[in-house]
Amino acid sequence: MRETLPYDARSQKRAQPTRLARLGHATLELSLGFSRLVQTAASALISSRRLGAAARRVVRRIALAQVLYTGVHAVTLISVIGLLIGGTLIIQTHLMAPAAGGEMLGTILVAVVVRELAPLVTAIVVTGRSGTAIATELGNMKANSEVAALASMGIDPAHYIVLPRLIGATVSVLVLTVYFAFVAILGGYAVSLLIASPSFTAIQAGASRTLMLADLPLFLAKAGGLGALVGWLPCHYGLSVKSSPTEVPQQASRAVVRCMGACVAYNLVVTAGFYAWVGPPIR
Amino acid sequence: MTAPRIDSHKQGRGIDFDRVSFYFGELLILRSVTFHIPRGDALVLTGANGVGKSTLLQLCAGLLQPTSGETRIAGHKPHPERPSDLFDKGVRVGFVFQDGALLHNMSALANVTLALSYHAELLGLDEKGIDARARGALLEVGINQADFHASPAHLSHGVKKRVAVARALALEPNFVFFDDPDTGMDPKSLQLMHDVIERFCQDKGVTAVVVTNHDRLMDRLGVRPHALLYGELVELPLPSERFKR
Repeated sequence: MRETLPYDARSQKRAQPTRLARLGHATLELSLGFSRLVQTAASALISSRRLGAAARRVVRRIALAQVLYTGVHAVTLISVIGLLIGGTLIIQTHLMAPAAGGEMLGTILVAVVVRELAPLVTAIVVTGRSGTAIATELGNMKANSEVAALASMGIDPAHYIVLPRLIGATVSVLVLTVYFAFVAILGGYAVSLLIASPSFTAIQAGASRTLMLADLPLFLAKAGGLGALVGWLPCHYGLSVKSSPTEVPQQASRAVVRCMGACVAYNLVVTAGFYAWVGPPIR
Repeated sequence: MTAPRIDSHKQGRGIDFDRVSFYFGELLILRSVTFHIPRGDALVLTGANGVGKSTLLQLCAGLLQPTSGETRIAGHKPHPERPSDLFDKGVRVGFVFQDGALLHNMSALANVTLALSYHAELLGLDEKGIDARARGALLEVGINQADFHASPAHLSHGVKKRVAVARALALEPNFVFFDDPDTGMDPKSLQLMHDVIERFCQDKGVTAVVVTNHDRLMDRLGVRPHALLYGELVELPLPSERFKR
Protein backbone atom coordinates (compact mmCIF):
# COMPACT_ATOMS: atom_id res chain seq x y z
CA MET A 1 0.00 0.00 0.00
CA ARG A 2 1.31 3.43 -0.90
CA GLU A 3 1.72 5.77 2.00
CA THR A 4 1.08 8.98 0.18
CA LEU A 5 -2.10 10.46 -1.13
CA PRO A 6 -3.19 11.96 -3.46
CA TYR A 7 -2.07 10.18 -6.55
CA ASP A 8 -2.34 11.65 -10.03
CA ALA A 9 -5.16 9.78 -11.76
CA ARG A 10 -4.20 11.45 -15.03
CA SER A 11 -1.11 9.29 -15.18
CA GLN A 12 -3.41 6.27 -15.59
CA LYS A 13 -4.38 7.06 -19.18
CA ARG A 14 -5.11 4.42 -21.76
CA ALA A 15 -2.66 3.87 -24.63
CA GLN A 16 -2.97 6.30 -27.61
CA PRO A 17 -5.35 4.82 -30.24
CA THR A 18 -4.25 4.20 -33.84
CA ARG A 19 -5.75 6.09 -36.82
CA LEU A 20 -7.98 3.10 -37.68
CA ALA A 21 -9.14 2.93 -34.08
CA ARG A 22 -9.97 6.64 -34.17
CA LEU A 23 -12.01 6.17 -37.37
CA GLY A 24 -13.86 3.28 -35.78
CA HIS A 25 -14.43 5.37 -32.68
CA ALA A 26 -15.84 8.26 -34.76
CA THR A 27 -18.21 5.90 -36.62
CA LEU A 28 -19.30 4.38 -33.35
CA GLU A 29 -19.85 7.82 -31.83
CA LEU A 30 -22.02 8.86 -34.81
CA SER A 31 -24.22 5.80 -34.62
CA LEU A 32 -24.38 6.07 -30.84
CA GLY A 33 -25.38 9.73 -31.18
CA PHE A 34 -28.25 8.80 -33.49
CA SER A 35 -29.39 5.95 -31.27
CA ARG A 36 -29.30 8.30 -28.24
CA LEU A 37 -31.42 10.79 -30.18
CA VAL A 38 -34.02 8.10 -30.89
CA GLN A 39 -33.73 6.81 -27.32
CA THR A 40 -34.55 10.26 -25.90
CA ALA A 41 -37.97 10.25 -27.56
CA ALA A 42 -38.59 6.51 -27.28
CA SER A 43 -37.91 6.31 -23.54
CA ALA A 44 -40.14 9.35 -22.95
CA LEU A 45 -43.02 7.73 -24.82
CA ILE A 46 -42.52 4.28 -23.28
CA SER A 47 -42.25 5.68 -19.73
CA SER A 48 -45.68 7.28 -20.05
CA ARG A 49 -47.24 3.80 -20.26
CA ARG A 50 -45.13 2.29 -17.47
CA LEU A 51 -45.70 4.81 -14.72
CA GLY A 52 -48.61 5.28 -12.36
CA ALA A 53 -51.39 7.86 -12.18
CA ALA A 54 -49.57 10.05 -9.63
CA ALA A 55 -46.51 10.36 -11.86
CA ARG A 56 -48.77 11.11 -14.84
CA ARG A 57 -50.50 13.86 -12.85
CA VAL A 58 -47.16 15.50 -12.08
CA VAL A 59 -46.13 15.33 -15.74
CA ARG A 60 -49.52 16.66 -16.92
CA ARG A 61 -48.98 19.78 -14.82
CA ILE A 62 -45.59 20.37 -16.42
CA ALA A 63 -47.01 19.77 -19.92
CA LEU A 64 -49.71 22.39 -19.29
CA ALA A 65 -47.07 24.85 -18.09
CA GLN A 66 -45.09 24.10 -21.27
CA VAL A 67 -48.16 24.86 -23.42
CA LEU A 68 -48.43 28.18 -21.58
CA TYR A 69 -44.77 29.11 -22.17
CA THR A 70 -44.47 27.75 -25.70
CA GLY A 71 -47.97 28.34 -27.03
CA VAL A 72 -49.85 31.07 -25.21
CA HIS A 73 -46.85 33.34 -24.68
CA ALA A 74 -45.97 33.12 -28.39
CA VAL A 75 -49.37 34.35 -29.63
CA THR A 76 -48.34 38.02 -29.99
CA LEU A 77 -45.19 37.16 -31.94
CA ILE A 78 -47.07 34.73 -34.19
CA SER A 79 -49.81 37.36 -34.78
CA VAL A 80 -47.31 39.98 -35.93
CA ILE A 81 -45.33 37.59 -38.13
CA GLY A 82 -48.50 36.04 -39.60
CA LEU A 83 -50.06 39.40 -40.50
CA LEU A 84 -46.84 40.67 -42.08
CA ILE A 85 -46.15 37.49 -44.05
CA GLY A 86 -49.75 37.30 -45.35
CA GLY A 87 -49.58 40.94 -46.44
CA THR A 88 -46.14 40.59 -48.05
CA LEU A 89 -47.27 37.53 -49.98
CA ILE A 90 -50.19 39.41 -51.52
CA ILE A 91 -48.00 42.43 -52.40
CA GLN A 92 -45.50 40.17 -54.20
CA THR A 93 -48.30 38.32 -56.03
CA HIS A 94 -49.86 41.60 -57.10
CA LEU A 95 -46.50 42.87 -58.36
CA MET A 96 -45.80 39.72 -60.39
CA ALA A 97 -49.35 39.21 -61.66
CA PRO A 98 -51.26 42.52 -61.51
CA ALA A 99 -54.21 40.95 -63.26
CA ALA A 100 -54.62 38.27 -60.60
CA GLY A 101 -58.17 38.35 -59.34
CA GLY A 102 -59.71 37.45 -56.02
CA GLU A 103 -59.92 33.73 -56.85
CA MET A 104 -56.21 33.60 -57.68
CA LEU A 105 -55.36 35.36 -54.41
CA GLY A 106 -57.50 32.84 -52.51
CA THR A 107 -55.69 29.97 -54.23
CA ILE A 108 -52.28 31.43 -53.40
CA LEU A 109 -53.20 32.05 -49.79
CA VAL A 110 -54.29 28.45 -49.33
CA ALA A 111 -51.48 26.84 -51.32
CA VAL A 112 -48.68 28.92 -49.86
CA VAL A 113 -49.90 29.90 -46.42
CA VAL A 114 -51.90 26.88 -45.25
CA ARG A 115 -49.80 24.18 -46.87
CA GLU A 116 -46.30 25.60 -46.55
CA LEU A 117 -45.72 28.79 -44.61
CA ALA A 118 -47.96 28.29 -41.59
CA PRO A 119 -46.42 25.02 -40.33
CA LEU A 120 -42.83 25.87 -41.25
CA VAL A 121 -42.73 29.48 -40.07
CA THR A 122 -44.54 28.59 -36.84
CA ALA A 123 -42.08 25.76 -36.15
CA ILE A 124 -39.08 28.01 -36.86
CA VAL A 125 -40.43 30.81 -34.67
CA VAL A 126 -41.17 28.38 -31.81
CA THR A 127 -37.72 26.79 -32.22
CA GLY A 128 -36.04 30.19 -31.94
CA ARG A 129 -38.17 31.18 -28.99
CA SER A 130 -38.78 28.01 -26.98
CA GLY A 131 -36.22 25.58 -28.41
CA THR A 132 -33.41 27.75 -27.08
CA ALA A 133 -35.16 28.06 -23.74
CA ILE A 134 -35.70 24.29 -23.44
CA ALA A 135 -32.12 23.41 -24.40
CA THR A 136 -30.66 26.02 -22.06
CA GLU A 137 -32.90 25.04 -19.16
CA LEU A 138 -32.14 21.33 -19.49
CA GLY A 139 -28.44 21.99 -20.08
CA ASN A 140 -28.26 23.97 -16.86
CA MET A 141 -30.20 21.26 -15.04
CA LYS A 142 -27.70 18.69 -16.26
CA ALA A 143 -24.67 20.81 -15.36
CA ASN A 144 -26.07 21.48 -11.87
CA SER A 145 -26.71 17.73 -11.26
CA GLU A 146 -30.46 18.39 -11.10
CA VAL A 147 -31.11 15.60 -13.61
CA ALA A 148 -29.02 13.21 -11.51
CA ALA A 149 -30.95 14.38 -8.44
CA LEU A 150 -34.23 13.47 -10.17
CA ALA A 151 -32.86 10.04 -11.05
CA SER A 152 -31.67 9.51 -7.46
CA MET A 153 -35.26 10.06 -6.29
CA GLY A 154 -36.52 7.38 -8.68
CA ILE A 155 -37.91 9.91 -11.15
CA ASP A 156 -37.29 8.96 -14.78
CA PRO A 157 -35.69 12.02 -16.42
CA ALA A 158 -37.20 11.04 -19.79
CA HIS A 159 -40.68 10.94 -18.29
CA TYR A 160 -40.39 14.00 -16.08
CA ILE A 161 -38.34 16.23 -18.39
CA VAL A 162 -38.73 15.11 -22.01
CA LEU A 163 -42.34 13.91 -22.23
CA PRO A 164 -44.08 17.11 -21.01
CA ARG A 165 -41.92 19.25 -23.31
CA LEU A 166 -42.61 16.94 -26.23
CA ILE A 167 -46.37 17.09 -25.60
CA GLY A 168 -46.31 20.82 -24.82
CA ALA A 169 -44.38 21.72 -27.98
CA THR A 170 -46.49 19.45 -30.21
CA VAL A 171 -49.80 20.85 -28.94
CA SER A 172 -48.48 24.43 -29.07
CA VAL A 173 -47.13 24.20 -32.63
CA LEU A 174 -50.33 22.49 -33.82
CA VAL A 175 -52.58 25.21 -32.38
CA LEU A 176 -50.25 28.07 -33.31
CA THR A 177 -50.10 26.80 -36.91
CA VAL A 178 -53.88 27.02 -37.21
CA TYR A 179 -53.72 30.49 -35.67
CA PHE A 180 -50.85 31.56 -37.95
CA ALA A 181 -52.78 30.44 -41.06
CA PHE A 182 -55.85 32.37 -39.91
CA VAL A 183 -53.90 35.55 -39.15
CA ALA A 184 -51.81 35.36 -42.37
CA ILE A 185 -54.96 34.97 -44.48
CA LEU A 186 -56.45 37.92 -42.60
CA GLY A 187 -53.32 40.00 -43.26
CA GLY A 188 -53.28 38.97 -46.91
CA TYR A 189 -56.95 39.84 -47.30
CA ALA A 190 -56.46 43.23 -45.62
CA VAL A 191 -53.57 44.12 -47.93
CA SER A 192 -55.41 42.85 -51.02
CA LEU A 193 -58.31 45.18 -50.15
CA LEU A 194 -55.85 48.08 -50.15
CA ILE A 195 -54.14 47.30 -53.44
CA ALA A 196 -56.60 45.32 -55.58
CA SER A 197 -59.99 45.52 -53.86
CA PRO A 198 -61.11 41.97 -54.69
CA SER A 199 -64.38 40.79 -53.29
CA PHE A 200 -64.30 38.53 -50.24
CA THR A 201 -66.53 36.04 -52.08
CA ALA A 202 -63.98 35.73 -54.90
CA ILE A 203 -61.12 35.05 -52.45
CA GLN A 204 -63.31 32.56 -50.58
CA ALA A 205 -64.20 30.80 -53.83
CA GLY A 206 -60.51 30.49 -54.79
CA ALA A 207 -59.62 29.20 -51.34
CA SER A 208 -62.48 26.65 -51.28
CA ARG A 209 -61.57 25.41 -54.77
CA THR A 210 -57.96 24.85 -53.71
CA LEU A 211 -58.63 23.25 -50.34
CA MET A 212 -58.93 19.47 -50.50
CA LEU A 213 -59.81 16.83 -47.95
CA ALA A 214 -56.21 15.64 -48.25
CA ASP A 215 -55.10 18.99 -46.85
CA LEU A 216 -56.25 17.89 -43.39
CA PRO A 217 -53.82 14.95 -43.00
CA LEU A 218 -51.11 17.08 -44.64
CA PHE A 219 -51.70 19.86 -42.15
CA LEU A 220 -51.79 17.48 -39.18
CA ALA A 221 -48.68 15.60 -40.34
CA LYS A 222 -46.76 18.81 -40.84
CA ALA A 223 -47.82 20.73 -37.76
CA GLY A 224 -47.79 17.67 -35.47
CA GLY A 225 -44.46 16.35 -36.79
CA LEU A 226 -42.79 19.76 -36.69
CA GLY A 227 -44.10 20.34 -33.17
CA ALA A 228 -42.66 17.02 -32.03
CA LEU A 229 -39.30 17.95 -33.57
CA VAL A 230 -39.36 21.31 -31.77
CA GLY A 231 -39.91 19.53 -28.44
CA TRP A 232 -37.64 16.57 -29.08
CA LEU A 233 -34.36 17.96 -30.45
CA PRO A 234 -33.83 20.77 -27.91
CA CYS A 235 -34.52 18.26 -25.10
CA HIS A 236 -31.96 15.88 -26.55
CA TYR A 237 -29.25 18.50 -27.00
CA GLY A 238 -29.97 20.09 -23.62
CA LEU A 239 -29.58 16.72 -21.92
CA SER A 240 -26.36 16.09 -23.89
CA VAL A 241 -24.57 18.61 -21.67
CA LYS A 242 -22.20 16.62 -19.47
CA SER A 243 -21.07 18.63 -16.48
CA SER A 244 -19.67 21.96 -17.59
CA PRO A 245 -21.83 25.11 -17.79
CA THR A 246 -19.75 26.23 -20.79
CA GLU A 247 -21.35 23.41 -22.80
CA VAL A 248 -24.83 24.91 -22.28
CA PRO A 249 -24.68 27.72 -24.90
CA GLN A 250 -22.89 25.38 -27.32
CA GLN A 251 -25.59 22.75 -27.04
CA ALA A 252 -28.38 25.37 -27.12
CA SER A 253 -27.01 26.80 -30.35
CA ARG A 254 -26.57 23.28 -31.80
CA ALA A 255 -30.14 22.43 -30.78
CA VAL A 256 -31.63 25.46 -32.54
CA VAL A 257 -29.58 25.12 -35.73
CA ARG A 258 -30.20 21.38 -36.07
CA CYS A 259 -33.86 21.73 -35.13
CA MET A 260 -34.43 24.38 -37.81
CA GLY A 261 -32.58 22.24 -40.36
CA ALA A 262 -34.63 19.20 -39.36
CA CYS A 263 -37.88 21.23 -39.64
CA VAL A 264 -37.06 22.41 -43.17
CA ALA A 265 -36.05 18.89 -44.24
CA TYR A 266 -39.15 17.33 -42.66
CA ASN A 267 -41.37 19.92 -44.33
CA LEU A 268 -39.81 19.15 -47.72
CA VAL A 269 -40.24 15.39 -47.28
CA VAL A 270 -43.89 15.70 -46.24
CA THR A 271 -44.63 18.16 -49.08
CA ALA A 272 -42.99 15.86 -51.64
CA GLY A 273 -44.89 12.89 -50.20
CA PHE A 274 -48.15 14.83 -50.29
CA TYR A 275 -47.87 15.79 -53.95
CA ALA A 276 -46.69 12.31 -54.87
CA TRP A 277 -49.84 11.00 -53.18
CA VAL A 278 -52.31 13.62 -54.48
CA GLY A 279 -50.61 13.68 -57.88
CA PRO A 280 -50.38 16.42 -60.53
CA PRO A 281 -51.85 18.72 -61.60
CA ILE A 282 -51.36 20.66 -58.41
CA ARG A 283 -54.34 22.80 -57.79
CA MET B 1 -3.46 -3.27 -1.07
CA THR B 2 -6.44 -4.47 0.87
CA ALA B 3 -9.89 -4.67 -0.66
CA PRO B 4 -12.93 -3.58 1.32
CA ARG B 5 -15.22 -6.11 2.95
CA ILE B 6 -16.28 -8.84 0.58
CA ASP B 7 -19.08 -10.89 1.97
CA SER B 8 -20.24 -13.38 -0.63
CA HIS B 9 -23.21 -14.92 1.23
CA LYS B 10 -24.80 -11.53 1.81
CA GLN B 11 -24.52 -10.52 -1.83
CA GLY B 12 -27.59 -9.13 -3.48
CA ARG B 13 -28.86 -7.31 -0.43
CA GLY B 14 -26.61 -4.31 -0.12
CA ILE B 15 -24.43 -2.81 -2.81
CA ASP B 16 -22.38 -5.11 -5.05
CA PHE B 17 -19.55 -4.21 -7.40
CA ASP B 18 -18.38 -7.01 -9.65
CA ARG B 19 -15.17 -6.22 -11.57
CA VAL B 20 -16.31 -2.66 -12.18
CA SER B 21 -14.14 -0.39 -14.29
CA PHE B 22 -14.96 3.19 -15.10
CA TYR B 23 -13.34 5.62 -17.48
CA PHE B 24 -14.11 9.30 -17.97
CA GLY B 25 -13.07 9.54 -21.62
CA GLU B 26 -9.44 8.42 -21.45
CA LEU B 27 -9.16 8.87 -17.72
CA LEU B 28 -9.21 5.76 -15.55
CA ILE B 29 -11.25 6.16 -12.39
CA LEU B 30 -11.92 2.57 -11.33
CA ARG B 31 -9.96 -0.51 -12.34
CA SER B 32 -11.89 -3.78 -12.09
CA VAL B 33 -13.09 -3.19 -8.55
CA THR B 34 -15.04 -5.90 -6.71
CA PHE B 35 -16.61 -5.29 -3.32
CA HIS B 36 -19.81 -5.70 -1.36
CA ILE B 37 -21.40 -3.44 1.21
CA PRO B 38 -23.82 -5.57 3.23
CA ARG B 39 -27.29 -4.14 3.89
CA GLY B 40 -27.20 -1.87 6.92
CA ASP B 41 -23.46 -1.23 6.73
CA ALA B 42 -21.64 1.94 5.81
CA LEU B 43 -18.73 2.72 3.54
CA VAL B 44 -16.75 5.90 4.04
CA LEU B 45 -14.74 7.24 1.11
CA THR B 46 -12.00 9.77 1.53
CA GLY B 47 -9.08 11.11 -0.47
CA ALA B 48 -7.84 14.00 -2.51
CA ASN B 49 -9.96 16.05 -4.90
CA GLY B 50 -10.33 14.68 -8.39
CA VAL B 51 -9.57 11.03 -7.73
CA GLY B 52 -13.13 9.94 -8.44
CA LYS B 53 -14.87 9.69 -5.06
CA SER B 54 -18.06 11.35 -6.34
CA THR B 55 -17.98 9.16 -9.45
CA LEU B 56 -17.71 6.05 -7.29
CA LEU B 57 -20.57 7.33 -5.15
CA GLN B 58 -22.75 7.83 -8.24
CA LEU B 59 -21.84 4.35 -9.47
CA CYS B 60 -22.88 2.95 -6.07
CA ALA B 61 -26.24 4.75 -6.34
CA GLY B 62 -26.80 3.49 -9.88
CA LEU B 63 -26.70 6.98 -11.36
CA LEU B 64 -23.81 6.07 -13.66
CA GLN B 65 -23.29 3.03 -15.83
CA PRO B 66 -19.87 1.37 -15.40
CA THR B 67 -17.64 1.11 -18.47
CA SER B 68 -17.33 -2.62 -17.73
CA GLY B 69 -18.41 -4.94 -14.94
CA GLU B 70 -21.67 -4.87 -13.03
CA THR B 71 -23.11 -2.97 -10.10
CA ARG B 72 -26.11 -4.12 -8.11
CA ILE B 73 -28.14 -2.32 -5.52
CA ALA B 74 -30.28 -4.54 -3.27
CA GLY B 75 -29.63 -7.29 -5.80
CA HIS B 76 -31.06 -5.27 -8.68
CA LYS B 77 -29.14 -3.98 -11.65
CA PRO B 78 -29.75 -0.22 -11.89
CA HIS B 79 -30.66 1.46 -15.18
CA PRO B 80 -29.61 5.12 -15.06
CA GLU B 81 -32.25 5.88 -17.73
CA ARG B 82 -35.06 4.17 -15.79
CA PRO B 83 -34.44 4.84 -12.10
CA SER B 84 -38.13 4.33 -11.32
CA ASP B 85 -37.55 0.58 -11.86
CA LEU B 86 -35.47 0.45 -8.67
CA PHE B 87 -38.03 2.52 -6.79
CA ASP B 88 -40.78 0.10 -7.86
CA LYS B 89 -38.68 -2.75 -6.42
CA GLY B 90 -38.52 -1.09 -3.02
CA VAL B 91 -35.13 0.60 -3.31
CA ARG B 92 -35.42 4.08 -1.79
CA VAL B 93 -32.35 6.14 -2.50
CA GLY B 94 -31.51 9.34 -0.67
CA PHE B 95 -28.65 11.15 -2.37
CA VAL B 96 -27.17 14.37 -1.02
CA PHE B 97 -25.11 16.01 -3.75
CA GLN B 98 -22.04 18.14 -3.17
CA ASP B 99 -23.88 21.41 -3.89
CA GLY B 100 -27.36 20.18 -2.99
CA ALA B 101 -28.55 19.89 -6.64
CA LEU B 102 -31.93 21.38 -5.79
CA LEU B 103 -34.30 22.01 -8.69
CA HIS B 104 -33.93 25.72 -9.28
CA ASN B 105 -37.40 26.38 -10.63
CA MET B 106 -39.04 25.12 -7.43
CA SER B 107 -39.26 26.30 -3.84
CA ALA B 108 -37.52 24.41 -1.02
CA LEU B 109 -40.82 22.78 -0.05
CA ALA B 110 -41.64 21.81 -3.65
CA ASN B 111 -38.20 20.22 -3.96
CA VAL B 112 -39.04 17.95 -1.05
CA THR B 113 -42.63 17.18 -2.11
CA LEU B 114 -41.71 16.41 -5.74
CA ALA B 115 -40.61 12.79 -5.30
CA LEU B 116 -43.39 12.20 -2.75
CA SER B 117 -46.02 13.40 -5.24
CA TYR B 118 -44.44 11.45 -8.10
CA HIS B 119 -44.45 8.20 -6.11
CA ALA B 120 -47.59 8.96 -4.08
CA GLU B 121 -49.24 5.63 -4.97
CA LEU B 122 -46.21 3.53 -4.05
CA LEU B 123 -45.69 5.45 -0.82
CA GLY B 124 -49.41 5.40 0.00
CA LEU B 125 -49.56 9.15 0.52
CA ASP B 126 -52.33 11.65 -0.19
CA GLU B 127 -51.93 15.43 -0.63
CA LYS B 128 -52.07 16.07 3.13
CA GLY B 129 -49.64 13.27 3.91
CA ILE B 130 -47.18 14.53 1.30
CA ASP B 131 -47.28 18.06 2.70
CA ALA B 132 -46.94 16.89 6.31
CA ARG B 133 -44.01 14.60 5.56
CA ALA B 134 -42.18 17.27 3.54
CA ARG B 135 -42.66 19.95 6.21
CA GLY B 136 -41.58 17.51 8.91
CA ALA B 137 -38.37 16.67 7.02
CA LEU B 138 -37.56 20.36 6.51
CA LEU B 139 -38.13 21.15 10.18
CA GLU B 140 -36.02 18.14 11.19
CA VAL B 141 -32.96 19.62 9.48
CA GLY B 142 -33.62 23.03 11.01
CA ILE B 143 -35.01 24.88 8.00
CA ASN B 144 -36.87 28.06 8.95
CA GLN B 145 -40.56 28.08 7.96
CA ALA B 146 -39.86 31.40 6.21
CA ASP B 147 -37.50 29.57 3.83
CA PHE B 148 -40.03 26.89 2.86
CA HIS B 149 -41.28 28.87 -0.11
CA ALA B 150 -37.97 30.45 -1.09
CA SER B 151 -36.36 29.37 -4.33
CA PRO B 152 -32.89 27.76 -4.07
CA ALA B 153 -31.35 30.88 -5.63
CA HIS B 154 -32.32 32.81 -2.50
CA LEU B 155 -30.97 30.25 -0.03
CA SER B 156 -27.45 30.12 1.38
CA HIS B 157 -25.15 27.20 0.59
CA GLY B 158 -25.65 25.62 4.00
CA VAL B 159 -29.44 25.91 3.87
CA LYS B 160 -29.49 24.45 0.35
CA LYS B 161 -27.53 21.44 1.60
CA ARG B 162 -29.92 20.97 4.51
CA VAL B 163 -32.90 21.14 2.13
CA ALA B 164 -31.16 18.46 0.06
CA VAL B 165 -30.87 16.32 3.20
CA ALA B 166 -34.56 16.93 3.94
CA ARG B 167 -35.38 15.82 0.39
CA ALA B 168 -33.47 12.59 1.03
CA LEU B 169 -35.00 12.12 4.51
CA ALA B 170 -38.56 12.57 3.29
CA LEU B 171 -38.31 9.47 1.11
CA GLU B 172 -37.42 7.35 4.17
CA PRO B 173 -34.53 5.83 2.23
CA ASN B 174 -32.93 2.42 2.70
CA PHE B 175 -29.82 3.51 0.77
CA VAL B 176 -28.21 6.88 1.46
CA PHE B 177 -25.33 8.57 -0.28
CA PHE B 178 -23.62 11.69 0.98
CA ASP B 179 -21.20 13.56 -1.26
CA ASP B 180 -19.03 15.87 0.86
CA PRO B 181 -22.01 16.74 3.07
CA ASP B 182 -20.08 18.86 5.53
CA THR B 183 -18.34 21.44 3.37
CA GLY B 184 -19.15 25.14 3.70
CA MET B 185 -21.37 24.83 6.79
CA ASP B 186 -21.49 26.80 10.01
CA PRO B 187 -20.70 24.83 13.23
CA LYS B 188 -24.38 24.40 14.17
CA SER B 189 -25.38 23.13 10.72
CA LEU B 190 -22.30 20.91 10.67
CA GLN B 191 -23.29 19.34 13.96
CA LEU B 192 -26.83 18.80 12.67
CA MET B 193 -25.54 17.29 9.43
CA HIS B 194 -23.20 14.92 11.31
CA ASP B 195 -26.09 13.87 13.58
CA VAL B 196 -28.22 12.99 10.55
CA ILE B 197 -25.39 11.05 8.88
CA GLU B 198 -24.59 9.18 12.09
CA ARG B 199 -28.25 8.28 12.55
CA PHE B 200 -28.41 6.86 9.03
CA CYS B 201 -25.16 4.95 9.46
CA GLN B 202 -26.34 3.39 12.72
CA ASP B 203 -29.72 2.40 11.28
CA LYS B 204 -29.43 -1.29 10.40
CA GLY B 205 -32.04 -0.93 7.69
CA VAL B 206 -30.03 1.69 5.85
CA THR B 207 -26.94 1.15 3.73
CA ALA B 208 -24.84 4.29 3.64
CA VAL B 209 -21.96 5.53 1.53
CA VAL B 210 -20.36 8.75 2.75
CA VAL B 211 -17.72 10.78 0.94
CA THR B 212 -15.90 13.02 3.35
CA ASN B 213 -12.51 14.42 4.26
CA HIS B 214 -13.70 15.43 7.71
CA ASP B 215 -11.65 13.54 10.34
CA ARG B 216 -14.17 14.21 13.10
CA LEU B 217 -17.01 12.68 11.08
CA MET B 218 -14.94 9.59 10.22
CA ASP B 219 -14.10 9.05 13.89
CA ARG B 220 -17.68 9.65 14.92
CA LEU B 221 -18.97 7.07 12.44
CA GLY B 222 -16.27 4.63 13.54
CA VAL B 223 -16.08 3.14 10.06
CA ARG B 224 -12.63 2.77 8.57
CA PRO B 225 -12.42 4.98 5.50
CA HIS B 226 -11.42 3.78 2.05
CA ALA B 227 -9.49 5.73 -0.53
CA LEU B 228 -9.20 5.38 -4.28
CA LEU B 229 -5.64 4.59 -5.22
CA TYR B 230 -4.65 3.87 -8.81
CA GLY B 231 -8.28 3.04 -9.56
CA GLU B 232 -8.56 0.58 -6.67
CA LEU B 233 -10.08 0.83 -3.22
CA VAL B 234 -7.79 0.61 -0.22
CA GLU B 235 -8.68 0.66 3.45
CA LEU B 236 -7.16 3.37 5.64
CA PRO B 237 -7.02 3.61 9.41
CA LEU B 238 -9.40 5.91 11.25
CA PRO B 239 -7.95 9.37 11.92
CA SER B 240 -7.86 8.58 15.66
CA GLU B 241 -5.97 5.33 14.99
CA ARG B 242 -3.48 7.19 12.80
CA PHE B 243 -2.80 9.47 15.72
CA LYS B 244 -2.16 6.58 18.12
CA ARG B 245 0.39 5.06 15.72
